[in-house]
Amino acid sequence: MRKQSRFGSRLLIGLVFLFLYAPILLLIVFSFNAGDSSAVWRGFSLHWYAQLFQNRIIMESVYMTLLVSLLATVISTAAGTFAAVGLYSLSRRKREALMTVNNIPMMNADIVTGVSLCLFFVAFFQGWGVFAKWFNGIQGAVALPTRLTLGLGTLLLAHIAFDIPYVILNVAPKLRQMDKNLLDAAQDLGCTWMQAFWKVALPEIKPGIVSGALIAFTMSIDDFVISYFTAGSSSSTLAMTIYGMTKRRITPEINAVSTLLFLSVLTLLVITNVREARLEKRNAKDFSPAPAKPRPAAVEKAAQWMGSPTGRWAQRGLAALCVAVFAIVVSGLANATTSRPVVNVCSLGEYIDTDLINQFEEETGIRVNYQTAESNEAIYSLLKSGGADYDVVVTSDYMIAQFIEEDMVEPLDYGNIPNFERIDERFRNLPYDPENQFTVPYTWGTLGIIYNTNVVSEEITSWSALYDDKYAGNVLLINNSRDALGEALLYLGYSVNTTDEAEIRQAFDLIASANRRGVFQGKASDEVFQKMEGGNAAIATYYAGDYLSMLDNQADGVELAYVIPEEGSNWFVDAMCVLKDAPHKDAAEQWINFIASTEANLANMDYIGYASPNREALEKYPAYYEELYAEELDMELYEIMAAPAEVLERCESYLVLPAETRALYNELWVQLGT
Amino acid sequence: MPSRRAEMKNKRSLFAVPYVVWMALFVVIPILIMVWYAFTTAESGGTLDNFAQMGTYASVFLRSFRLAAVATLVCLLIGYPVSYWMAREGAGFQRVAMALIMLPMWMNFLLRTYSWMSILENNGLLNQLFRNIGLISLVNRLTGSELQYFPMIGTSGAVVLGMVYNYLPFMILPVYSVIVKLDHSLLEAAQDLGANSARVFRKVILPLSLPGVLSGVTMVFVPSVSTFAISRLLGGGTQMMLGDLIEQQFLGGAYNPHLGAAISLVMMVIVVVCMVVMNHFGEGEEQAVML
Repeated sequence: MRKQSRFGSRLLIGLVFLFLYAPILLLIVFSFNAGDSSAVWRGFSLHWYAQLFQNRIIMESVYMTLLVSLLATVISTAAGTFAAVGLYSLSRRKREALMTVNNIPMMNADIVTGVSLCLFFVAFFQGWGVFAKWFNGIQGAVALPTRLTLGLGTLLLAHIAFDIPYVILNVAPKLRQMDKNLLDAAQDLGCTWMQAFWKVALPEIKPGIVSGALIAFTMSIDDFVISYFTAGSSSSTLAMTIYGMTKRRITPEINAVSTLLFLSVLTLLVITNVREARLEKRNAKDFSPAPAKPRPAAVEKAAQWMGSPTGRWAQRGLAALCVAVFAIVVSGLANATTSRPVVNVCSLGEYIDTDLINQFEEETGIRVNYQTAESNEAIYSLLKSGGADYDVVVTSDYMIAQFIEEDMVEPLDYGNIPNFERIDERFRNLPYDPENQFTVPYTWGTLGIIYNTNVVSEEITSWSALYDDKYAGNVLLINNSRDALGEALLYLGYSVNTTDEAEIRQAFDLIASANRRGVFQGKASDEVFQKMEGGNAAIATYYAGDYLSMLDNQADGVELAYVIPEEGSNWFVDAMCVLKDAPHKDAAEQWINFIASTEANLANMDYIGYASPNREALEKYPAYYEELYAEELDMELYEIMAAPAEVLERCESYLVLPAETRALYNELWVQLGT
Repeated sequence: MPSRRAEMKNKRSLFAVPYVVWMALFVVIPILIMVWYAFTTAESGGTLDNFAQMGTYASVFLRSFRLAAVATLVCLLIGYPVSYWMAREGAGFQRVAMALIMLPMWMNFLLRTYSWMSILENNGLLNQLFRNIGLISLVNRLTGSELQYFPMIGTSGAVVLGMVYNYLPFMILPVYSVIVKLDHSLLEAAQDLGANSARVFRKVILPLSLPGVLSGVTMVFVPSVSTFAISRLLGGGTQMMLGDLIEQQFLGGAYNPHLGAAISLVMMVIVVVCMVVMNHFGEGEEQAVML
C-alpha cells in the first residue's frame, strides 16, 4: 500500500521534471543542429559552437551580463550587510518601518520597478543637464558633461537597487539569531566597534551573507524586465539580446551559449552535491539552520529558498564562481577602458550586412555600436524616453519628417559625405526633407502581402485577405500602427495620409474586429521571418526586401509569394540622419559616407534584399549578382526589389501626420487587443 | 557604562543611514515620480485624464488578472503535491530534486519560453508529431473539420502554459521549505489522538504550510500578472496583457509615458491590496491554528 503510493508520487514528480526539462533538452539538442532551424533536424554539427565565439553581439552581452551581475552582487552584498547591521541596531518601530520600504522592490512587479527607475533616471538627467549648463556657465575650470544617458551606470544602479533587499532579508535572520550581547561584550573588552563587527559579528552572520550574495547573483543574471527599461541603448545584457533575437530569427549560437552556461552550472551543482553528500556522511551532523519563526508570507520570499538544503551547495558554488568570473571581469574592464572612437548606430530591424561593420571598423578604427529597433514608432519611443545614446539613426521617411519637425536631428555637412553625389536624383529632396539638409537615403522599397502558396490556394490580390475569416489564426498583423492602419485605409479606399478621424476609426474597426474574430495569430515585426519561413503562418504583410531574404530560407513545404495588392500600397525611403547634439558627429558622417558608397550599397542589396538609392549600385546589381553567384539574376525578383515606375505609381508614400492624428493613431493602437 | 553601550549602538545604527538615503533615492523617489507622471499629461499638469481612460483598458486588466489567477492556481495544484511528496523522500532524493528545480532558473527564461514557441507553433514540433502519428487526420475524420494543425500558439492557453512553466519553481520552493520544516511530533501527536491521514493533512499539515503557500502564490501571481515577454512570445501580442500595455507606452509603438505610468500605478495598487488582504487572511488562519 505504502510502496504503491510512493511509486505514484514519484511518477508525478518525474512528470513535473519532464515538463521542466523538455524545452531545455530541446534547446540543447538543437544547438548541435547542422541547419539553423529550431524545429527541423538536419544532422549533428558543432558549427554553432565555433560560430559563437565569432559572434560579437552575443559575446559582448555575455560579458555585460557577467560584469553587471558580479559588480551588483559584490556591491549589494557589502552594502546590504552593513545596512542590515544598521537596521538591526535601530529601535523596533523604526526598523519595521524601514523593512516595509525595503520590501517594496520585492513586492512590486518587475515592470513597475523598471518603469519607475527609468522615469527617475531620465528626470535626473534632465535636472543634471540644466545644472551642468549653469555650472559650466559660471566657471571655466571644470566642464561637466551636460548630457547623460542610460547605460552601464544606470543598469548597475538598478541591479544594486533590486539586489540589496534580498541581501538584507538573508542577513537579518542571522543577526536576529546572534546573541545580542556578543557585540557589546567585544566592545567592553576593548574592541572598537569596527573590530567588533569584523571579528565577532561577521563570522556569525556569514552564512546569511553568502546565501544573500548567491540569491542576488541569481536575480541579477536572470533579470530581463528591469534591465530592459534601464539599460538604454549602449549596454545589452544576454537576456536583452535574446529578447531582441526572439523577435527575428533566433540564431542557434544562442542555443550554444545557453548550453554552455547550463552545463557549467550543472557541473558546479554535481561537484558541490557530491562533496556535500560526503561531508554529511562523515560527520552525520545536522547543520541545517534552526527553523526561523514564520514571518509574513511576502517577506519570506527569498529567505526560504536559502534556508533549505539547497542553500548549502549554493554557498560553495558561489566561491568557485566568483573566482572564475573575476578574471573575466578584470580582463574585460581593462579592455573597456582602452578608449576607441565610437559611433552608435540605431537601425530598423535586421537591416545591414554585418561584414560592412567589420570593414568600416578596420578601415577607420572607429568602433561601431550597432543596435536595432522594432519599428519607426519604437525608435521614436526610445529617443523620447531618453533611453538612447545614438549618433546615427536609420528610419523611414515619415518618421524623419517628424524628427525634423520636432527639432531632433542635426543638419549634415555634405562636404564630409562625398558619396551623396551617387544618390539618384529620384531620392533627393523628397517631401520628408525638402531641401535635403538632414538625410542620406539608405534603402527604398514597397510594402506588400507575403503568403504561402501551399496553404493559400487562391491568388491574393487584395488587402481583404488580411481580414478574412477563412485564414483565421494564420494571418500576422504587422506590428506598427502606421503600416497596419495604412493597409486598412487602402483597403477601404482612403489615402494612407488621411487626417479624417472617421476614416481612421473605420480602418481601426476593421482591424479590431478581425482581431476579435481571431483572424490574427499575432502581431509581428521581424518575427515574421521565422513565422513565414517555417510555415507557421500563411499570410503576413512586410517589405519587399525581406520577402527576398525569406525566399532563401524557406522550410520544406513552404512556397512564398509577394504581391502588391490592387488597392495600391506604400512605398518608402529609409534614410540615415544624425541626432541633435550627437556626441560623435564626425564619426557619424564617416559612417554615413561609407554606407552611401557604391560598394557598400551593392553588398547591402545582396544581403538584406532592399533596393539601394545609389544610382550606380542599382545599375550594377544584376552584373554583381552574376559575378557573385555565377548565375543570372531573376529579373522578376529584381523588380520586386527595385519596383519599376509603373508599380511605384500605384503606391503612396507616408507623409508625417499632424500631431492630433498621430495621437489618434497611438490611442487606437494601444486599444487594439483590449 | 550603559551610556557607552548606547553610544556604540548608536554608532552601529549609523550604518543604516546610507541605506535609508539609498532607499529614498532608488525606491521612494522613483515611485513618486511615477505617481507624478500618472497625474499629468504632456500638455497639462495635475489631471485625472489618464485615469479617466482606464475604462477602455478594463478588459486588459480583467484578462491579465484572470490568466495570472489561472496560472497561479495551476502552479498551486501541481506545486503543492510535488512539494509534499518530495518532503517525504530521503535526504539524498530531496537534495537532488531541489537542485533540479533551481537549475532551470539559471537558464534565461526567455530562452526557455522561446523553446516552447518552437514546440507550439502551427508547424512546430507538437503539430509535426500529431501529423505524423495521424492524430490530426483522425480528429478531422471524427469531427468533420479540416484542420491542418492544432492552433496552440497565440492562444491564452499558451500564455498560461508559459507562466506555469516559468513560475512553477517559485511555488514549489517556498511550499517545500515550509513542509520540510514541519515538526514531526505534531503529526505523530495528531495520529496518536486518532486522526486519520486525511484529517492530519487537513487539520495540521495544510494550515501549517499556509505561509509557504501564500508566499508561493505571491511569487507566481505578481510576475504573471505583469509579464509582457511571455504573452508576446506565446500569445502573439494580439490579446494584450497589462505588461504589453505598459511596455508599449514606454519603449514600444505608442509613446505615452503618462498613461503608462497611470496603468502601472493602478496595477501596483491592485496587486498590493490583493497581497495585503491575502496575507492578513493568512495570518489570521495561522494564529487560529496556533491557538
